[in-house]
Amino acid sequence: MLEVKVKKALEGFDLDVDFSVNKEILSIMGPSGSGKTMTLRCIAGLVKPDEGYIKLNGRVLFDSEHGLCLPARLRRIGFVFQNYALFSHLTVAENIAYGIKNLPQRVVRERVAQLIELMHLPGLEHRYPRELSSGQQQRVAMARALAPEPEALLLDEPFSALDTPRRERLEYEILQLQKFYEGDILFVTHDLTEGYKLGSRIAIYENGRIVQCDRKNNVISTPVNPTAARLAGVKNLMQGYVKSVSDSRVEVFIPELGMPLKVINKQNLSLTENQEVIIGIRPEHINIATGGRDNVIPCQVNEIIEGAIDIRGRDNIIPCQVNEIIEGVIDIHCHLYSSADEARKYTIEMISPRSSSPDICEGHTYDFYLPPEHLIIVPASQDNSA
Amino acid sequence: MIEASLSPLWVSIKTVLVATAITFFLGIIAARWMARYSGRFKSLIDGLFILPMVLPPTVVGFGLLMLFGKNGPIGMLLDNIGVTVVFSWPATVISAVVVSFPLMYMSARGGFEQVDIDIEDAARTLGASEWKVFWTVTMPQAWPAVVSATILAFARALGEFGATLMLAGNIPGKTTTLPVAIYFNIQAGHMDQALVQVLIVLVISFASLAALAYFKGRTKNANTIRV
Repeated sequence: MLEVKVKKALEGFDLDVDFSVNKEILSIMGPSGSGKTMTLRCIAGLVKPDEGYIKLNGRVLFDSEHGLCLPARLRRIGFVFQNYALFSHLTVAENIAYGIKNLPQRVVRERVAQLIELMHLPGLEHRYPRELSSGQQQRVAMARALAPEPEALLLDEPFSALDTPRRERLEYEILQLQKFYEGDILFVTHDLTEGYKLGSRIAIYENGRIVQCDRKNNVISTPVNPTAARLAGVKNLMQGYVKSVSDSRVEVFIPELGMPLKVINKQNLSLTENQEVIIGIRPEHINIATGGRDNVIPCQVNEIIEGAIDIRGRDNIIPCQVNEIIEGVIDIHCHLYSSADEARKYTIEMISPRSSSPDICEGHTYDFYLPPEHLIIVPASQDNSA
Repeated sequence: MIEASLSPLWVSIKTVLVATAITFFLGIIAARWMARYSGRFKSLIDGLFILPMVLPPTVVGFGLLMLFGKNGPIGMLLDNIGVTVVFSWPATVISAVVVSFPLMYMSARGGFEQVDIDIEDAARTLGASEWKVFWTVTMPQAWPAVVSATILAFARALGEFGATLMLAGNIPGKTTTLPVAIYFNIQAGHMDQALVQVLIVLVISFASLAALAYFKGRTKNANTIRV
């Protein structure tokens, strides 16, 4: 179990985080420059935090109160860098063996062979990093980090330089890794699909703070603030204020649309009348109205962008469809705007499978329905310290 | 005649080898330190280290005389233990070290600065001490630059003339290095001896530069990782 509670003053913002990881993968997500990498560097001992503590399986790695700061080499934490950081003057086998040179030679040979096998690198033992593809280089970096059997593994955007097929294979391999690697894994990413696929929990960073840290389903279904909502794939964020509240049913007036929208308050936020809120909805939850009058916005279709649904695996993030990639299905990506009032033009983004809305055409007006159960409501103020 | 021309060669070889060895270590220590140093005085220290390269040799020689002379701070210190530097063989080494140091320092520092900090950090997370990081990661990564730096420093030490003449003088068989001997041979009209010595300097200098070019060609791209 890795317990982290650190503060560090940085340029532009202060890092101030508090979380723990217990034999699982925690995905850390957030905009660039929100302190994700800095957190990993603090944990690994490459950067010294200003205050707080870091504990790993009961061992104190850092404690400002007692003036304790273990050097990186004694922390037993594996680090996989974004740019792999391989030793270019050493071969693949030498890279992997670097951290276990103190062990008997026979053990080193065995473990290197084992990791070569595990990371699918056979035949490359005597190659140099420059002779490998980027995917292979990243596998070597993983094997090298795993060789000393670290108690925790920190992955800093390890796949950001890889193309989609390689990325997906490595993601799969990290999931497989969990079967035999018993340590804590921290996985920094800016990609929601990746963070969701790999993590059992997700921590959302903003300006050096964790705004939300929860099971991944909760992070996706009930983001706590606009940043968390955006990172969780919620689009069509609209400002409004609460018109009425009755139990979990909330009516929010949206000035930009000139109409109220009914929302189901799934998070049980305590809302009061006239409170400013932001509501949003995933593009794929908008559909064409088949009757009823609530939450129906007449919109003119502005532009239809066709895209293959599996390119970024976006549908993968909807909890009910996890790991189901429908290949070859084309979705219709519509930019819609409300035609209620030309002066209040508001663009709504919607994703719809072509099969369920075959005859949408550009320039025509349709009634779009925003289901109240799919609308996500968050407080407008950003002082959420959850 | 041949012997008279060759005596400065031995002095030069001794001087250059010792000076290059000293410059190698001093330059690497200074370069490694400055490559990761980002304090207030960075530009100032950097300027001080490179200064001997741009100053006229006579100015360097003057400065060395000030330091090592009978009334200089270091000179007085050494005088207490019975050592006189001026007009002795060690003076040729000191002059060669001072003028070759900036070349060693600059090239090696460039090499160290090129080493990705993440690679050093990776070694640290893999349990390497700072000493091990330096010898197993930083040095091998910066090796091409360190070798070029050493060859350049060697060539510069061999060619040192002005400061050597001022600090070490011209004592045949003791402080007369090749460049100094060439100057005095020409002064004395011994063109044939000067010619032999000129040819020797040309051969050694050219050979070291050729070695440098060969080495650079061999290590080209050897340390770049394709991403």
